[in-house]
This record gives sequence, structure tokens and C-alpha cells, in this order.
Amino acid sequence: MDVNKILVAIDGSENSKRAVEYVADVVKGCRDFEITLLHIERLPDRDVFPDEDAWKKECVAHRGKIESFLSENKKMMAEYSIPEKMVSTDYMESCDSPLAKEPSFCSRGTSIARDILHVAEKGHFGTVVIGRRGVSKAEEFMFGSVSNKIVHSGKNCTIWVVQ
Amino acid sequence: MSETVKQILNRFQSDAYMGRQGKVYTDTSDFMRITGGDVIVFKDGHYLVLRDEVERSYGIEDPKYWVKRCRHLESGERRLLKLVFYEKFFLQMGDIKITCYRSPRKEARILDLVRGDLRFMQGFSAEDEKGNTIRVLDVVKGKRLDNWIYELDVDHRTYFFEYLPQILEKFIGACEAIAYLHANGEKHGDIRRDHLWRETSSGDYVWIDFDYTFDFHENPFGLDVFGLGGLLLYIVGKGFYSQNDIITLFGDKKKAPDIEQGDFLLVFKNRLANLHKIFPYIPEDLNWVLMHFSAGASVYYETVGEFLSELRPCLKNMR
Repeated sequence: MDVNKILVAIDGSENSKRAVEYVADVVKGCRDFEITLLHIERLPDRDVFPDEDAWKKECVAHRGKIESFLSENKKMMAEYSIPEKMVSTDYMESCDSPLAKEPSFCSRGTSIARDILHVAEKGHFGTVVIGRRGVSKAEEFMFGSVSNKIVHSGKNCTIWVVQ
Repeated sequence: MSETVKQILNRFQSDAYMGRQGKVYTDTSDFMRITGGDVIVFKDGHYLVLRDEVERSYGIEDPKYWVKRCRHLESGERRLLKLVFYEKFFLQMGDIKITCYRSPRKEARILDLVRGDLRFMQGFSAEDEKGNTIRVLDVVKGKRLDNWIYELDVDHRTYFFEYLPQILEKFIGACEAIAYLHANGEKHGDIRRDHLWRETSSGDYVWIDFDYTFDFHENPFGLDVFGLGGLLLYIVGKGFYSQNDIITLFGDKKKAPDIEQGDFLLVFKNRLANLHKIFPYIPEDLNWVLMHFSAGASVYYETVGEFLSELRPCLKNMR
């Protein structure tokens, strides 16, 4: 575990943007940190589309949107005077992605929290940061909560949950 | 020139009476026009449409125009034809609104997965001349499980001790069937009382209707697990119990036990989960499983496996 390595999990939402801003605010002025903005690809549900072409089109659009989000947030960190070399981005592809580029590890899509923790462990990140939606008890039961699962399952790292 | 309905009927079932002799359809895109007396032809099969399927709820009939009750003219057997209907709709579960979709592709895939597994409805899918995925389903000869249980003319105590152990055993089998779907990356998508049937001749339980889907990433099977909990509650209670039902059951508000909000289901807040309070002979361990679905729960089942690991010993203890 490297205390200077921070993994920020982002999903393209306002909550995850807030998490990036929070990290930028904390780290600004500091040197020797390594910040990774991580996105676990969540493909649109294939069954929702009438055919493969429509689904692939949506996958391409989704990827483009997230890649822009990652790069905007990287730029935003630069506005906090965080040197560009301190910030990197990581887009973990879904194993089912039609655009897959044979990644060394891909997301099976069954648990985003587990995928984030896998990256944290392999990359020896000392801190994992995640935004929080703020769901009700019933919503958590039915839809699940990435932040709660990370808090409960994370080991050997510090976890920041940004509301 | 292609055959007319009359010619087709003469060829297959010359003695069949059909009030209306309609049109022959090889393209099912416009399913609203297809009605009783028409014949759908695809993949070398001829299906005489008898009527649209209807869903009955609270005494109201809701026609499902994309589902046709048919007779397969080659075999003379009844079949259900589900035609392609893309629908996005909102499922209201208590205060929660869930965006759901109807997916012919998903159902077709599951039909392939469960072929020969009689815990699920059986059938196959094929495309019509325009590429619409039609699902051809065997008709389950039986009754909705909840209706069958409701109509058992015994009091709850008799039901609990004399009927429930056998019902629970079969229900556990039905849960294992759902676990099998999950293990194969599929979800049922719409586990509710009218989608589990009891086959009359064998008494076996059969899941129907797999075409719902929804987009949950962190807990993709959560809704299925919740559905199983709701079904278990109905099965154990021989019905659902609201605050008013409890008062009716005890005949007097003063005689009714104290019920707190945490005793009711987490999502459907007017259904009592803590059945032990009204039926004290329900064992603690079984009640504990039910309480995982209550508003008072702090721990939930994330998988069918977890749910079954606590439900199976309950059945053992009841015997």
C-alpha cells in the first residue's frame, strides 16, 4: 500500500465530479502524489435494444461521453495547480464490450465495487475515493450501493466517501 | 398465390369451426391487427389465432395484444405466441420507481438456456419474415400458485402444519431455478405472484414470463431476490396482512398484537413481514428469514444462495 497513491472512482455523475474536486482541494500544493481517475465501464443493457447495431451505437456514445468526462476532470485538476504528470486516467472495459481492446483485466459487470477494489489492490493504492448518491434503505436493497459495498469490503486502504 | 385461411384450415383441420376466417400473416410487426381467426405462418408452422391473451387483476381484464392464444395447426396443440413489443415502463414498488423494459431477445435467450428444465415454461423462438423474434410457448396446464394456495379451504394453523412443508420444499426448488438463471448471468426480471404457476398433474412449480429487464449494476439480481422474499411471505402467511387485516383477524383492535413499522415489508409498507406476531407457531428461524425483507432489517440477502442457506434449515426443522 502506497499512501501517496489515490484512486478516485468516477461514473460520470455529479457525485463523482464532487469527489474529484474534493481530492483536488485536499491535494493541491502537495507533491509526490499519484492520482488515478478510474472508470469501470457499465455498458447499456444489451436487451434494452432491438438489435446489436443499436446497442453497439449506444456503447460507442457511452464510451465517448465517459472519456470526455475523464479528460475534463483531469483538466479540472490542473486548475487546482496539480501537475499533469501527477494525474492519470484508467478506463476499465467491460468484458462484454463490443469495443474491447483485449484488456489485461475487464469488468464482468456483476459488482463495480469489487472491480474498484481489485484495481486498488493491484495498484497498491493507499486511498480509494468515491462519491455517494445517497440512497434509501429500500433502494440500497434492490439496486445496491457501490459506496456502501466499498466501505464494507475495502481492506488495507483508506476510503473517502464524498457526499 | 399464397393460401387463404380457409385453405389452410381445410388442409390441417377440415372439421375445425372458426367463426371468423381472417388473414394470413407472415409479418407480425403490426400485432394489433392480428386477431381471432387469423393465421400466423412462420418457420414452417401455422398458428391459428384464437384470441388475445388477457391478464386478470382485481377483477379487471387487461388485454395483452402482443400475446396470442393460438392452435398450432400441424399438431393441434395450444400455444402462446409472444410477438415483438418493445415497451419501456415504470414499475412502482412502494415509493420506488423502477425503469423496466420488455425484451424479446432476453426471453428468447432464456428459453434456449432452460430447454428441458421443467422448472421453467418451455418454448422456442423463431423469426418471422421481417426478422421479428416470435416466442412460441407451451401452455402451462395449471394455476397460479398464489391462487391455488388462497383457495385451499383450511385455516392458517392447519395450512401451516399440513400443507406448508410440501409447498416450501417445492418453493425452495423454484428458488434454486432462479439461482440457476443468476449463475448463468440471467435474471428473471419480474418475480411476482402471478409468474409462478403450479402444474396440475405433477404439482410442480413453473416460472413463466422472462421478458422484463432493467438496468441495475451493483446489485443486478436484487429485484429477483426481493421478489422471492415477497413470494415466501405470501406462501408462509397464506396471503398478505395489512394493519386492517390484522385487526379483522383478531376481531378487535385491543386484542391485536402491537405492530411497529419495522414489522412491515421494507418496500410494500402495508404488508406484515413479522408473521410470528399474528401466528405465534411460526418458528423463529423462518420468521427471521422473512424479517430480512422488513423495514426493520439491517442486513439483506444479496443473493439467492444466501437466502436459501437460511431457508433450507427452516424446512428441515419443520419436519
